[in-house]
Amino acid sequence: MLEELSLHILDIAMNALAANATRIEISVLETRRHDRLILRVHDNGRGMDAATLEKVLNRRITTKTTRPKSIGLGLALLRQTAEMCDGHFQIRSNPGRGTTVTASMRLSHVDRPPLGDLNATLITLCAANPNVDVRLDYRTDQEHFRFSSQELTPKGEVHP
Amino acid sequence: MNLEQLKQLKEKAQKQIALRESGKKYRVVVSMGTSGIAAGAREVMKTMLDELEKRGIESVEVAVTGEIGMVDAEPVVRIEEAGGEKTTYAKVNPEIARQIVAEHLEKGRKVQSAAVGKAKEQE
Repeated sequence: MLEELSLHILDIAMNALAANATRIEISVLETRRHDRLILRVHDNGRGMDAATLEKVLNRRITTKTTRPKSIGLGLALLRQTAEMCDGHFQIRSNPGRGTTVTASMRLSHVDRPPLGDLNATLITLCAANPNVDVRLDYRTDQEHFRFSSQELTPKGEVHP
Repeated sequence: MNLEQLKQLKEKAQKQIALRESGKKYRVVVSMGTSGIAAGAREVMKTMLDELEKRGIESVEVAVTGEIGMVDAEPVVRIEEAGGEKTTYAKVNPEIARQIVAEHLEKGRKVQSAAVGKAKEQE
């Protein structure tokens, strides 16, 4: 369905925007050493209570008639991808304290989708939401890069 | 994933933001729900941003919205004019996106072949 992990990231980030987040922190960890790929999207939006969270986890797919916010399908897709690739999916949320979605998978798993065009995902989020601080923390065994759409001086550094 | 690309992102994002903030004449809304994303809305959005930048069009604001209930017509792009007129384009691909920028947003001529429904006038 979503052929790139960066499309999943965009999808989850759209949920964050729907929850009126002003800051979205995306982290990507790619480690060959441990053969893992871990994605995390944390937002400071309005969050969800336990009942709403349960609906989300039960793959309650929103239909047109009951669509205050079409949350559910995208998360189910990401969970499916993570579990298919020997990984885990987790979502934590508290009303007023934002939501954190974490998905891990085996980096070398044959079904693991490519990370894809993370650039396009960030450009889309930044351009459409200039007042939202979109942050990226991208880390591999060798490299570490950080980006924030609200900070004028780039923090990007390479740590060999 | 290329680290060099990521580094260039900062500059580009700032440019796109500036572009977005200076807009007035048209507002472009790209449907970026799960179904839109699955159908290619991100590439459509990126193409439009690139094309607007390339042509130096600064009177356009670009925004996104969530699911709009037109799942089988995705990717959907809506153009809102300052006067209130709205045009909806369905099944947009990067090529149509470029046409929309070149024709509709630059010259004010709708791309009829990709438009759906009737244009709504608010007055």
